[in-house]
Amino acid sequence: MSTILYHGEPNGPSLAVLAALGESGLDIECQPIDLLAGERHRLPGVTEPVARDMGVEGEGPVLVIDGEAMTESVFIAQYLDETGANTLQPRDAYAHWQMLMWCRRITERCAPAAAFLGCKAQAHAVLSAMDETPWGDVLAAIASEDLRGRWSAVRTGDFPEAPLTDSANKVADAVAMVEQQLADGRDWLMGDLTVADFETYGWLAGMPALLPAAFAASPRTAAWLDRVRTRPSVQAALARAATVNPEAAWAPGPEINRWG
Amino acid sequence: MAEVTLYHWEPNANSGKPMLALMEKGVAFDSHYIDMLNFEQHRPEYLAINPQGTIPAMTYGDRVLVESTAIMEYVNEQFAGPDLMPGDARDRWRIRWWMKFMDQWLAPSFSMFGWKYFVGPNALAAHGQEKIEAQIARIPLPERQTAWRKAVFGLFSEAEMAESGRRIAVGIEMLERELGKREWLASDHYSLADVNGFNLAYALPLSQPHLSNDDLTPNIMRWLRAIYRRPATQACWKLGRTPMASRVAILEQDYIPPRAEAEGIVSGVR
Repeated sequence: MSTILYHGEPNGPSLAVLAALGESGLDIECQPIDLLAGERHRLPGVTEPVARDMGVEGEGPVLVIDGEAMTESVFIAQYLDETGANTLQPRDAYAHWQMLMWCRRITERCAPAAAFLGCKAQAHAVLSAMDETPWGDVLAAIASEDLRGRWSAVRTGDFPEAPLTDSANKVADAVAMVEQQLADGRDWLMGDLTVADFETYGWLAGMPALLPAAFAASPRTAAWLDRVRTRPSVQAALARAATVNPEAAWAPGPEINRWG
Repeated sequence: MAEVTLYHWEPNANSGKPMLALMEKGVAFDSHYIDMLNFEQHRPEYLAINPQGTIPAMTYGDRVLVESTAIMEYVNEQFAGPDLMPGDARDRWRIRWWMKFMDQWLAPSFSMFGWKYFVGPNALAAHGQEKIEAQIARIPLPERQTAWRKAVFGLFSEAEMAESGRRIAVGIEMLERELGKREWLASDHYSLADVNGFNLAYALPLSQPHLSNDDLTPNIMRWLRAIYRRPATQACWKLGRTPMASRVAILEQDYIPPRAEAEGIVSGVR
């Protein structure tokens, strides 16, 4: 069985999956790719590309097993956990439902917002500096029309005020949710350490630099961010960084809900 | 009295997912029909159960569960009965991927058509403009208020409808290709992905007759008919009360030829 995990800089969904891999104890080959060069869309040996091409997450990591591209960081993390140490998901069905609901709130609301803000702060400069020819090559390699649209918006700097405000609010909501969840003094979001900690951390780790006010009155969240960051699996993931500040590395993410 | 109560609307889309999952598992439940067109989901009695005012919701003992796909996963893990998730971890990944893709990318496009042509007009006809404004103002989630306003007053833009139409066409092609790979959606076992997908796609040959029929999408048609014949599906769709659910009867037909797109629109429920 040939298995390779292709990941971007350890931030966002790439960080979540690398951390889950560390916790799983599995020995899987990891290959860094340059997401903003479009490398995710030109991976070698992909014979089943549908999940890579049409995934909701946008530029997340891709686990390729025997040619099948697997995407969506929460589900890759679940796969790694279930194939490996099996410690990152509650056994009780209700607690498992709570974890899945938590992850959905993060991936549906916080992730599009964080990616939008992160792309404005960082990816826009990279893509707008790209020459026409390589840019054309990137666009041509992206199968999904709406994902292509999100890439173009990042390059041209199309970040309207309304979604910027909405995104800042959604990140602040996620921080408030974390702060509330930790109110009983627990160390991890679901009690025990789960996929939810890594998924949430991945999307929030870069946000204090962009939205300091959202974290100002959230001491429990700050302590939790530190706890996750110092976890050996996260340290190992961060050690894979090619840049000094991987929390500042972004790429086009999930779309902001079309229904408003 | 059963320990499980399910608050649901029609066997369709989000409500139909946990209904069918419970029936496939053989879990007895109290069926509590919430008349969405009558705004029962925003009444105090229901908000006491689910403050978000979304349907479906399920109670089991003192626990309240919401979000249709997550409820299905809970039902499958909590109760005895046939396993609706396969034993192979990669199959489970594929099932989760397809459910997210349908829930977040494809289904919202289908429901934009459903809300524009069915939910909005029917609710407006039943209540009149003034009363409906008051009903909408009482909706707890701001994004649901926006959706209702757009549906009732026909405010979906041409660009929004065109994008939803594009996604429906792309999604149908993807489903057809995927169902050509395996007997069921995303695995070789009847699973939550099939329960989810049927709720999204059962009326395709009626609502999208130019895109989905026995000539163009034979794999989708084979799959829909196989699910339709299951006893749980038959029992589930009997709980429907509007013309929406009765659309499922089209799957009785052995051969459904292509028809013009316009015939899909005039069928009333797109």
